Amino acid sequence: MAVIGIESSAHTLGVGIADKGKVLANEKMMYDVGTTGIIPAKAAEQHIENIGSVIGAALSKAGMDKSGITGIGYTKGPGLGPCLRVGQLAAKTLSMELKVPIVPVNHAIGHIEVARHVSGAKDPIVLYVSGGNSQILGIINEPFRHYHVFGETFDIGVGNMLDSFARAAKLNPAWGSSVAKLAEGGKYIQMPYTVKGMDFTFTGLLTNAVKMLEANDPRDVAYSMQETAFAMLCEAIERAMLLTKKREVLLSGGVAQSKRLKEMLEIMTATHNGAVYAAPNEFNADNGAMIAIVAEKMLDTGMQKKPEDCDINQKYRADAAEIRW
Amino acid sequence: MEKISEGAEAEIYDAKVLGRSAILKYRIEKGYRTRPLDYRIRSERTKSEAKIMARASARGAMVPKVLLIDGYGIYIEKLDGAMLNAMMDRFEKQKEKMRKILEEAGKQLGMLHNADIVHGDYTPANILVTPEGVVYVIDFGLAEITNSVEEKALDLLLMKRSISKTLYPIFEDSYRKSHGDSKSVLLKLGDIERRGRYQTRTLITG
Repeated sequence: MAVIGIESSAHTLGVGIADKGKVLANEKMMYDVGTTGIIPAKAAEQHIENIGSVIGAALSKAGMDKSGITGIGYTKGPGLGPCLRVGQLAAKTLSMELKVPIVPVNHAIGHIEVARHVSGAKDPIVLYVSGGNSQILGIINEPFRHYHVFGETFDIGVGNMLDSFARAAKLNPAWGSSVAKLAEGGKYIQMPYTVKGMDFTFTGLLTNAVKMLEANDPRDVAYSMQETAFAMLCEAIERAMLLTKKREVLLSGGVAQSKRLKEMLEIMTATHNGAVYAAPNEFNADNGAMIAIVAEKMLDTGMQKKPEDCDINQKYRADAAEIRW
Repeated sequence: MEKISEGAEAEIYDAKVLGRSAILKYRIEKGYRTRPLDYRIRSERTKSEAKIMARASARGAMVPKVLLIDGYGIYIEKLDGAMLNAMMDRFEKQKEKMRKILEEAGKQLGMLHNADIVHGDYTPANILVTPEGVVYVIDFGLAEITNSVEEKALDLLLMKRSISKTLYPIFEDSYRKSHGDSKSVLLKLGDIERRGRYQTRTLITG
């Protein structure tokens, strides 16, 4: 009795298995993005070669065989088309072979809901920060129960900004961890700061920081860019907290692994008698368990789809996904 | 000084300037920001807000007077009155009065836009109506000086999402008469509303 989740929206191929909200396995294989970034066709090719073995690894980790699977979830989007196709195809094949129900899952909802599930947050304002996206969300019930987007980036995700800067500074891009390391001991230099209500932009900051690398200590540039970007996020989410009167802030997505971002949010929420919730890092990086956890909730609330309706959508927005539970 | 209210970035106090009733809007320190960034944001925004209010006033818009700027605080003339959002339910009983208020709110936004001032949070919560029925625009904390047609259209969109479908046309008609380039702004408003991101993003105002 277990639900299997397949995540393949970008460079990570992840397979997770969940049973009644408990994660039994969370296996993954990663495409090496190197210094060039991700080449979608190459990543998809690698996912195709490895999908069988990663599913096998997850099953043996969970101590079961295929016959124990009672439901299947896969990432419908957002993500890279060729990569998403691999997970979709594997999920549909498994569903037909095992004759078990299948459900498409929104990638962002996967991150957010697994974090809510394991951290115990009840009705939080969410800061979802990843490579491709940066959004502030919260559940509202109209016109259907979903995560409403209160604010978001008008251009690139904050993770994308950190990675692009890391490449320009000849560092290994990894959700900002290398930038954070470089930033240690840096001093503040003035940089563009752009928040409009609960929305924000990062390209101006990135362009400025990359240009500043020429004539400044890279440590100062890394420090100032990171401080500026995270302060922008904190300001926007503080406004959302006061507007909605919610007191829980849930941090999720790849950049949620940043210690400094979490620390800043803790200082901010403490002034409003609030608290920060987050999941362990294995759920913040892309993973299959989050898809399994959400798929189980969806199947339990009757959201299964016919295999012929199981599509992908590269631009599937978090606020288009229904949350029935 | 007595604290009246508290927002995301500033606190409002009851104050007096040279014996005159005033409010103090003080931008508070944010512990999460590195110190130099915190000082810079607070002082830049305080100065910019006062500058924009003075500009609006000079161009004939009804805004409270700035009395004094002191570091991270602005002392502003205190006005008697109620916010428009608290008066909305009176519409049925006082149709003619409400019509005039909405016309005035549209006219004021047109005048601000003529001066290239975008308010940034133009909702009924920031329209003050005095007991005599005079309409003031308040809180320029998110305002900017820009000639961007899109930014101007977003001011209208915010009001459109904040008031009922029967009331909004009164507001828009009056805006059209008051703003010199209302045609481009209203065309842009249509564009924005047809875009995906604003269709799925219902605006919620406090």
